[in-house]
Amino acid sequence: MKRLENRIAIVTGAGQGIGKAIALGMAREGAALVIADLNEANAGAVKGEIERVGGKASALYTDISNEESVRGMIDATLNEYGRVDVLVNNAGIFPTSPVEAMQEEEWDRVISTNLVGTFLCSKAVVPHLFAQCSGRIISLTSGRAFQGARHGAHYAASKAGIIGFSKSLALELAPYGITVNVICPGITDTAQPRGHQTEEQIYAQGQRIPLGRIGQPEDLAGPAVFLASDAGGFITGQTILANGGGIMW
Amino acid sequence: MEAKVAVVNGGAGGIGRAVVRRLAGAGYGIFILDKNQQAGREILDQLRKQGCQAEYRATELTNAPQLRNVFAEILTATGHIDLLVNLAGGTLHRHPIQEFPLSEWREVIDVNLKATFLCCQGVCRPMRERRSGVIINTSSNFAITGGTGRTAYAASKAAIIAFTKSLATEMAPHGVRVNAIAPGLTATTRVMSRYDEPEWRELGRSIPMGRAAEPSEIAEAVAFLASEEAGYITGQTLHVNGGMIFN
Repeated sequence: MKRLENRIAIVTGAGQGIGKAIALGMAREGAALVIADLNEANAGAVKGEIERVGGKASALYTDISNEESVRGMIDATLNEYGRVDVLVNNAGIFPTSPVEAMQEEEWDRVISTNLVGTFLCSKAVVPHLFAQCSGRIISLTSGRAFQGARHGAHYAASKAGIIGFSKSLALELAPYGITVNVICPGITDTAQPRGHQTEEQIYAQGQRIPLGRIGQPEDLAGPAVFLASDAGGFITGQTILANGGGIMW
Repeated sequence: MEAKVAVVNGGAGGIGRAVVRRLAGAGYGIFILDKNQQAGREILDQLRKQGCQAEYRATELTNAPQLRNVFAEILTATGHIDLLVNLAGGTLHRHPIQEFPLSEWREVIDVNLKATFLCCQGVCRPMRERRSGVIINTSSNFAITGGTGRTAYAASKAAIIAFTKSLATEMAPHGVRVNAIAPGLTATTRVMSRYDEPEWRELGRSIPMGRAAEPSEIAEAVAFLASEEAGYITGQTLHVNGGMIFN
């Protein structure tokens, strides 16, 4: 028996990168997936990838910073599958500016997406998890939450906020058997670091990581599947760092 | 031995038995190290009846020459050790600090921290040479919160976290991962025997998820960290405590 058989999982930002790897990993374990992404073409491609190997998935345009859009994501999930078991808050944005020059608009956009978006998606899914007295919420943070980010103060703040939010939500939902946890990648081989670093810089960082390489998106799929499965059922409020030992916490 | 080989130090204890059953189910050949010979033989019989490959060695936790011999013997027999799980240890002695005899304080540090160190030493070289292996140590929620009368126990369990991070850094270049689990209140007979039933229920209610962990739930965390799914996780401590404390 696959470990996520008959589970319905929503993964935000699953059109690419880490979200995509987590969605594919959960699909391999038998979950039906909702691929929620701003980029519909990417979401559709991931849906196709899952279906080609016999899995079940739907693709949804979703803007997690917009309450209407988030409600639409939950409604569409319930219409299609009748329930939801797992929410993975993965979607996020990562523009860079020094604080001195940071426009309020950019600050608001990062917080609204990364932190408020995590709140909105969690809030929307909670009544349905309550109703079945089970469920998993898994959110993605970043090593930047621990170490700060040069020219990414808004990003670091939003990602640290996700940890505090998740611990609090874990306390609220624990009596209902619903777990809330966080996964923390290190630098990962996705589009994100390429926004502000050269290929050489990115791979040079791998040399400084104890396990000797930067992360691959697939490195995050195992921890996500574990937390979503029965095996992770007594773990809540925790942050699992899957970062090659880059930060030990 | 063809199968993956796991050495479980403390494998006959309350959590240990759940861990060896889980690992045997995942296909490991198991070496149980434990000082409790009766419990050791019992779990060994159970495993063998289920067709699992298992061995038991009676060991004293802080007897360095004996542990060296046992690890050497295991390596000779199997050629490799894929996984070391250090579960042995415990609170042993609880006293207010002004009444804590040095000998007992040191004993607590030794059975928890030194035993972990000695067993890690037993597998580091062969794991390094094979460029593969996983070590899982056991910390505790008390490492973070401390506890009345537990100055020694809490210190030893906090030390295991720092020891684990340091060893992870040393071993990572050689393809060996080192992590810790930190169980909270766990429903083993040893722990439960300290409370009457209303006390035990009350304790469970004080935990956000409303109950103690089952040993099998700690075993799942061990199995996860041992698996390839955790292939990019090293130097970390995984708390399994129903939300009792957060890392």
